[in-house]
Amino acid sequence: IFSFLKNITGQRELSAETLDPVLATMKEHLINKNVASEIAEHLCQSVRSSLMGKKLGGFERVSTAVKNSMETALKRILTPKTSLDILRDIEQTRAEGRPYVISFIGVNGVGKSTNLSKVCFWLLQNNCKVLIAACDTFRSGAVEQLRVHARNLRALQTSGGGVVELFERGYGKDSAGIAKDAISYATANRFDVVLIDTAGRMQDNEPLMRALAKLVSVNNPDKIIFVGEALVGNEAVDQLTKFNQALKDFSGLQNPRHIDGMILTKFDTIDDKVGAALSMTYITGQPIYFVGTGQTYTDLKNLRVSHVVHSLLQN
Amino acid sequence: MVLADLGRKINTALVDLTKAPVVDEKVLDALLRDICAALLASDVNVMLVQRLRNNVKKSVNLNELGGGANRKRVIQKAVMDQLYELVDPGVQPYKPIKHKANVFMMVGLQGAGKTTTCTKLASFYQRKGWKTALVCADTFRAGAFDQLKQNATKAKIPYYGSYTETDPVAIAQEGVDKFKADKFEIIIVDTSGRHKQEAELFEEMKQISAAVEPDSTIFVMDGTIGQAADGQARAFKEAANFGSIIMTKMDGHAKGGGAISAVAATDSPIVFIGTGEHLHDLDRFEPKSFVRKMLGMGDMSDLVEK
Ligand SMILES: Nc1nc2c(ncn2[C@@H]2O[C@H](COP(=O)(O)OP(=O)(O)OP(=O)(O)O)[C@@H](O)[C@H]2O)c(=O)[nH]1
Ligand SMILES: Nc1nc2c(ncn2[C@@H]2O[C@H](COP(=O)(O)OP(=O)(O)OP(=O)(O)O)[C@@H](O)[C@H]2O)c(=O)[nH]1
Ligand SMILES: [Mg+2]
Ligand SMILES: [Mg+2]
Repeated sequence: IFSFLKNITGQRELSAETLDPVLATMKEHLINKNVASEIAEHLCQSVRSSLMGKKLGGFERVSTAVKNSMETALKRILTPKTSLDILRDIEQTRAEGRPYVISFIGVNGVGKSTNLSKVCFWLLQNNCKVLIAACDTFRSGAVEQLRVHARNLRALQTSGGGVVELFERGYGKDSAGIAKDAISYATANRFDVVLIDTAGRMQDNEPLMRALAKLVSVNNPDKIIFVGEALVGNEAVDQLTKFNQALKDFSGLQNPRHIDGMILTKFDTIDDKVGAALSMTYITGQPIYFVGTGQTYTDLKNLRVSHVVHSLLQN
Repeated sequence: MVLADLGRKINTALVDLTKAPVVDEKVLDALLRDICAALLASDVNVMLVQRLRNNVKKSVNLNELGGGANRKRVIQKAVMDQLYELVDPGVQPYKPIKHKANVFMMVGLQGAGKTTTCTKLASFYQRKGWKTALVCADTFRAGAFDQLKQNATKAKIPYYGSYTETDPVAIAQEGVDKFKADKFEIIIVDTSGRHKQEAELFEEMKQISAAVEPDSTIFVMDGTIGQAADGQARAFKEAANFGSIIMTKMDGHAKGGGAISAVAATDSPIVFIGTGEHLHDLDRFEPKSFVRKMLGMGDMSDLVEK
């Protein structure tokens, strides 16, 4: 009797036969949660490698072993390797007598201008003197959009030391040049931060990607923040890969820049299909600095890794 | 690059199929696996992909496949037919009627491309001789009226909006009434971006619709959208009962699978695709080339649908 029981509950070794069907289900599950399919594939392969040949104990199910291994992998990928303490960085540059420069880049319509304004609101709450540089000189209404935000933000500063101003040169002019002038103006007038808004652009549009690389190489911002929306599917991979590639290839620099971190927007529009957060961090290895959770100034939160992992794994 | 590889893989698999002495379940499954991978990588909804695979298997009789090139054609056709069925719901979009006011209302998620598409569509009709106008009923977004105003001015299309009115229903109503009185034939109403999770915004959309009574409500979708497409499309369909879809930002790398999901979920046809930020970047939707691009088969002259 004991040997019979031992066969059922004894140590079972994980093999391709037992693992592969479970992993196939897990892969489809992740894709359904809006994880890019090639990333879901890599993750499942990685879990497969780590579990192959391992022994399952007692009544442990294969699906549980896979889920646990995946959970560990997801946590590792989503947890930032570097922390961003913008306020401390700003103190640093203030001491050096120059403004801290952040540029917001990304494809069309993701929420760059709106989330730049949210970041501005947060900085103002922390008594910073902020200059918004209107470097989208192409899209209709881009300058007016920032003008309205600057006005709103100013009206919201009833107390404290926060100051906000818009630096704009209308439409048609060279963005890299306007950014340069904005930074000079900010330096001369002792601004703490310059937030550079840029025009949305597709990752394959070479002239526009060259223009962006030029803005970056001419002005060397302290932080290059890629703004990506949580709604995006597999394109997240191509966007990030090509934006980084363009910053490298078109920079004309010995040590080209790359994306330093990201803002994930429209997190309030996806329910539990949070996969884009994973795709973006997996591809870049960079942290998600903020999450956009709505259309007003306070809708800017920090990424909650355990919440994202839970949403990804739940049914 | 994933999709070109998949396209090559699919073609290789199809060629292998041609050469295989016997086409059995395993060979077919392998081919379908590659095709389904292409569809998932193109953002087609997971459930739809499953359904497609099952439908193809059902429709292909392995015993009657015959030999060589013919079997490849049969299977290819089975897959393409399923895909065409997904992108073509067999429903005709609204056709505007001359000498009467045709009201169009644009709805969709934030940043999808509604405002840009409004002017493109208006210009499209104007160039065809329709008396066309634009109404900006987005009272929420900073600079929304300026955006539409600048676009409309460049395109020489009359527009209506307000810097001060905060009620989008009121503006929509006023604008449509005014252009109706002036005998405009195409009146396109732009609305603010919204999402299903915000019930108030959906309620507002219903109110705007009730006020202007659109002849055609168009759902504007971003071509890069992923698995959230199905849920949002269904919700918009239920609330706004849109009759057709315009897919934007198709000028780049995106395959637009999310839009397929929206078509299948709502039985609404895609009428146009946006292919850039400029006025003329609006193309009629072509189901065949759309499906080919999705399968990474763009440059395969080999592809024959008989
Ligand atoms: N629901 C929701 N909407 C958002 C969020 N962030 C931005 N938006 C909305 O998305 C739309 C586009 O925002 P913008 O800031 O204009 O996007 P952008 O990237 O600057 O666009 P372009 O400059 O044209 O490329 C607006 O309607 C915003 O209100 C968010 O976190 N949640
Ligand atoms: N490349 C490209 N960009 C597009 C296309 N359609 C729209 N855009 C861009 O996408 C961004 C968002 O477009 P909008 O028209 O402001 O989007 P919207 O849906 O009105 O945004 P909200 O009103 O905030 O919801 C802008 O930068 C547009 O220029 C397209 O077909 N191709
Ligand atoms: Mg912008
Ligand atoms: Mg708009």
